[in-house]
Amino acid sequence: MSYLVAAYAIAIGGVVGYARWLARTRQRLARELADRSAANRG
Amino acid sequence: MSSSAAWKRASAVSLAVAASLWAWWVLRAPVDATQGLIQKVLYVHVPCVLGAYLGFAVTALGGLLYLVRHEERFDRLAAAAAEVGVLFCSLVLLTGPIWAKGTWGRWWSWDLRLTLTLLLYLIYVSYLLLRSFTEGSERAARFAAVYAIAGAPVMLLNYFAIDLAGGRTVHPENLGSGSLGAGMGMPFALGMLTALAAFAHLLVRRLEVGGLRAELDRLEAEAERA
Repeated sequence: MSYLVAAYAIAIGGVVGYARWLARTRQRLARELADRSAANRG
Repeated sequence: MSSSAAWKRASAVSLAVAASLWAWWVLRAPVDATQGLIQKVLYVHVPCVLGAYLGFAVTALGGLLYLVRHEERFDRLAAAAAEVGVLFCSLVLLTGPIWAKGTWGRWWSWDLRLTLTLLLYLIYVSYLLLRSFTEGSERAARFAAVYAIAGAPVMLLNYFAIDLAGGRTVHPENLGSGSLGAGMGMPFALGMLTALAAFAHLLVRRLEVGGLRAELDRLEAEAERA
């Protein structure tokens, strides 16, 4: 039973963790892009 | 709503629906008479293989389109798909040994299928490393495209490994009609659908990140020139 739980936790956790990392990276890049656009204009 | 936002929402909703149905059918699926509960690991392991194959196939396709059309978006598609493919292949290489330990009593065997899966993983991890060390130049993108296409046949070898080994393998055969017990087809099918939805969702998100990075690089280069 513990092997079964571990396999599902790894697979689901892996996909969810990667999706969250992508969301955080997207937010950070969007902020940097806004800052850079403002600096280039200014 | 923009088409990008619509795609993101559609992929998220598809994933949520598919994952809910899959979880329900995995819980309902009968316990295998020979392997016991550990057999249910295959409802997550096999769909992860689909995610890995899709990732590497799209990487090779993106590389091919980049070589033919010379458009940067295809290079970004290849890079995004490789990253998602490597994620799924990592999950294959983690969930497989868990099933093996519960069934064979050992984590790993240097069986043809397992060895080729590890090779496939290393090929595309190297692809990502290569890209990270040589990012930006057109020459590097061309080389990455050729490398991605050259790695694709290993995927075919991996799929047909059981046949190539002529039965001298400990890994179970590929799923086929009639190879599953009663009540096991639906959780496998929904697992595949969930993997497909997860792959699409992650690829759309990763492409968005790639697009933002490219735009940021462009603005930084513009600022340096000014």
